[in-house]
Amino acid sequence: MNAIYPVNDYGPLMPGLVMAAVAIVHVFLAQFAVGGGILLCYFQWLAMTGRSVDARSFVHGYFKVLVLISFVLGALTGVGIWFTSIQVSAPTIGEMVFHFHWIWATEWTFFCLEVVAGYCFYRYHDQLSARTCLTLLVLYAFAAWMSLFWINGILSWQLTPGHWLTTHSIVDGFLNPGFWPSLFFRTIVCMTLAALIGCVVVNVIPDLSREQRQELINKAAHLMIPMLAMPVLGAWYLYSMPSDSRSWVLGGSPAMMLFFMISVGASLAIGGYALIGLWLQKLYINGATASLLLLLAFGATAGGEFVREGSRKPYTVRHVLYSNGIRPEEVAGLRFRGCVSDDPFPVIHEKQLPNEVVTIGAKVFRRQCAVCHTMEGSNAVVHLTGAWDADQMRMNIAKLQQTKPFMPPFAGTAGELESLVQYIQWVHAKRPGSWPGTIDESNLPKIQRWLDEAGTAPAGNSPHPQTTEAEISIAPSVALGSLKR
Amino acid sequence: MNHMFPFRFDSHLSFYLVIYVLTWVVHFFLMAYVLAGSLWLVWTTLFPGTGTVPRTKQPLARLLRDWMPFALSGAITAGVAPLLFVQILYRQQFYTSNLLLGWRWMVVIPVLVAAFYLLYVVKSETASRWPLIARLGLSIGIAACFLFVAFCWTANHLLSLSSAVWPEAYRSGEAVRSTFALSMRLLTWVAGTFPTMSILASWQLRGMRSRTAAWDASISEAEWAVLFNTEHRRLGYASIAGIAAAFACACGYWTTLETSVHTQLIGHAGWPWLIIAIASSLFQIVGWVMQFRRPCLCNRWLTTITVALLTALVAVASLREIVRLSLANLDQATTSTRAASQVGGFRLFLVFTVLNIGLIAWCIHMVRSRKPRIPQ
Ligand code: HEC
Ligand code: HEM
Repeated sequence: MNAIYPVNDYGPLMPGLVMAAVAIVHVFLAQFAVGGGILLCYFQWLAMTGRSVDARSFVHGYFKVLVLISFVLGALTGVGIWFTSIQVSAPTIGEMVFHFHWIWATEWTFFCLEVVAGYCFYRYHDQLSARTCLTLLVLYAFAAWMSLFWINGILSWQLTPGHWLTTHSIVDGFLNPGFWPSLFFRTIVCMTLAALIGCVVVNVIPDLSREQRQELINKAAHLMIPMLAMPVLGAWYLYSMPSDSRSWVLGGSPAMMLFFMISVGASLAIGGYALIGLWLQKLYINGATASLLLLLAFGATAGGEFVREGSRKPYTVRHVLYSNGIRPEEVAGLRFRGCVSDDPFPVIHEKQLPNEVVTIGAKVFRRQCAVCHTMEGSNAVVHLTGAWDADQMRMNIAKLQQTKPFMPPFAGTAGELESLVQYIQWVHAKRPGSWPGTIDESNLPKIQRWLDEAGTAPAGNSPHPQTTEAEISIAPSVALGSLKR
Repeated sequence: MNHMFPFRFDSHLSFYLVIYVLTWVVHFFLMAYVLAGSLWLVWTTLFPGTGTVPRTKQPLARLLRDWMPFALSGAITAGVAPLLFVQILYRQQFYTSNLLLGWRWMVVIPVLVAAFYLLYVVKSETASRWPLIARLGLSIGIAACFLFVAFCWTANHLLSLSSAVWPEAYRSGEAVRSTFALSMRLLTWVAGTFPTMSILASWQLRGMRSRTAAWDASISEAEWAVLFNTEHRRLGYASIAGIAAAFACACGYWTTLETSVHTQLIGHAGWPWLIIAIASSLFQIVGWVMQFRRPCLCNRWLTTITVALLTALVAVASLREIVRLSLANLDQATTSTRAASQVGGFRLFLVFTVLNIGLIAWCIHMVRSRKPRIPQ
């Protein structure tokens, strides 16, 4: 059994949206930092080999931007994403930390290198030889890219744990099926972002002639050439995804499809511009256009992150943990024991609820639905069920995983489900002061029948690998299960 | 706990505790530089003194403004490691108190972002020409940000310790159970940052002594000598006062602890650490007094004070854990660390730690052998 954590009500915003916002900003900045390192090494090399006279002034100007943006915002939004993940789903981040803390600790040693190498360059570059500068930049870029390398393994594991599900070997978990395509793909994104920001920076460096700017911009655009490989890598990534997740993205879920198209469209626009305009035609690009392209890149990142987060549904760690923090193997037990009896946290505005039945319903909602839904804000259950009568509600919730395959199976008793229905209907009815305080027992047998028909397995069409004894023995849920709360 | 912390626990628990304590000490060390440093800047701005060189232009304030952005980078990066291990050792407590604080906890991030950029502002040439009131506002703003962040960590920590009040805290939204305990604990840390900052800054000042020309060529060598001397003394006083204040506040915090915690602190687990903490603090004081008698900062006493300080920090961090372990569920920490030690990856971590320590040393070596900057 997992520990039960208090759930915060962030008003009309569901926590997932807050998470998405922080994640998008962080991913954008962090990818810029990684690509920035590569771009700087390239320019330093151009300067040292006499291939570009102005590259040096660019390196020094660009690095200031990199430090001010990525050291400060990149590092802190990184901590921010950690804090947000805890708010959204403590069991998920707990699971990730549990299995991969040494990978994370390894990544951390690269953070340290990144900070030291970067700061040494930042502070002393004007007193160091060009060679030493290059060495520091290479170390910086190496450290930054390695941090991508490590975190990429942990994040791709969430969607495609692959053989890890049966072996529980950290190597299988880390080098999972999604690892390589997403690593290559992200590296290209990093280089593209850095090149675009480079174009903005070139436009604000003072005392450069138009020809000088154009030359630097065309050099920076070299980092966008790998975008040619994006379609192939994107296809590889889609191919590595579980088939059900892939089907959400390719049309199964209109919202996800939309974000996917935004991401693809924006990338195509940037790639097209880069290849035709900057590389083949050697065009000049002014600050405004560069900023616009950057905005498109932000759109692409946002779309991509949304798809990545969304396509994991109903899991946060595939086959291991549902989005609401319940484990697949717990569902059967919770159907029997109920999901609210061991929840120590009261309902916050309990006094405003008319009775115990509705209160239990509110607790069921909080435990099982609140990660993805609000009652009346975004993705509101009250609105989604607006056209349903009580029996339709009972059936569709009892068969939750069939209602929409990206929802987990309902994990509570028939009585709890009925309480949830009462709670939803009470909110539908504009929260009247009085409401039936007892459950109509005659509804329970049919709810039970629907629950049984739906079963406790998720809807996904890729099979759940057999769980072995060995893997259970080290799963934290079980390890912590013997403890008192 | 029948043995000195962290011995004779389940070996996995001891192992994670040791790593946690050591990484936390590193975090504290760097965090202290920015917290105490920002308070120092408030003091120098508020009381510039009557000498020809205002305190804001004296060596220490210059040094702090120059290095605080980097130290903050360091403090944040160093904070990530204990943040990782606290989630292995005390997962439920840490997550629950994070969640109970909710958005109040999340505010830490924007506040740190603001403080970070303000540090770059205070470091800039432009800001040094601002009117007093603006500079004062700036330095108070920075210090307030750091104090707030420290407050949040302490509030979070205390809430994580009192599982009995979690449901009620969730219902009422009240996160602070005892203002007195919170202030005493927080003030212990704040006071404790001064000895730490003092020693780091002393080493830096020592290295800066020969490079003052780059700061301000209009100040004569003799004047610099006097200024440096005064700063050494100030650092010594700040350090001794910090130790005394931290001790007093820790005593205040002691009175808020339950008897069962006292028993552990003066029992087998804690008494050696109590003695070590007190002795190493006294060593620091002695070190500073000896230092006062010398004309300049001398290697021997600075080294003594540094070693004593690090010992004191490890001792205090251990006592901090003993308090937590005597309130937490030991079985829970044991079970989760035992399970965590099965997942693998530690050797990978060791290999890359060695590699990256080497690379970091190489970076430092490269900049140390640079050509000196030519003063304008
Ligand atoms: C993993 C996230 C997730 C969880 C957990 C979840 N849902 Fe959903 N649910 C969704 C998404 C996404 C949709 C699709 C919304 C849309 O189509 O706009 C949805 C749709 C619905 C719908 C509308 C279905 C339809 O056919 O139109 C209802 C009703 C609903 N959810 C109720 C619930 C209830 C009740 C719970 C808790 C027992 C729950 N959901 C838990 C993600 C989730
Ligand atoms: C400059 C800003 C910061 C200050 C002033 C600060 C201050 C503190 C203080 C005073 C404590 C001790 C709390 C207590 O025991 O009562 C603490 C603990 C801690 N800090 Fe920081 N901190 C800062 C930034 C950070 C950041 C950015 C991180 C994370 C990356 C971090 C990670 C930690 C961790 C993990 C602990 C231990 C928490 C626990 O065991 O409960 N700190 N910090």
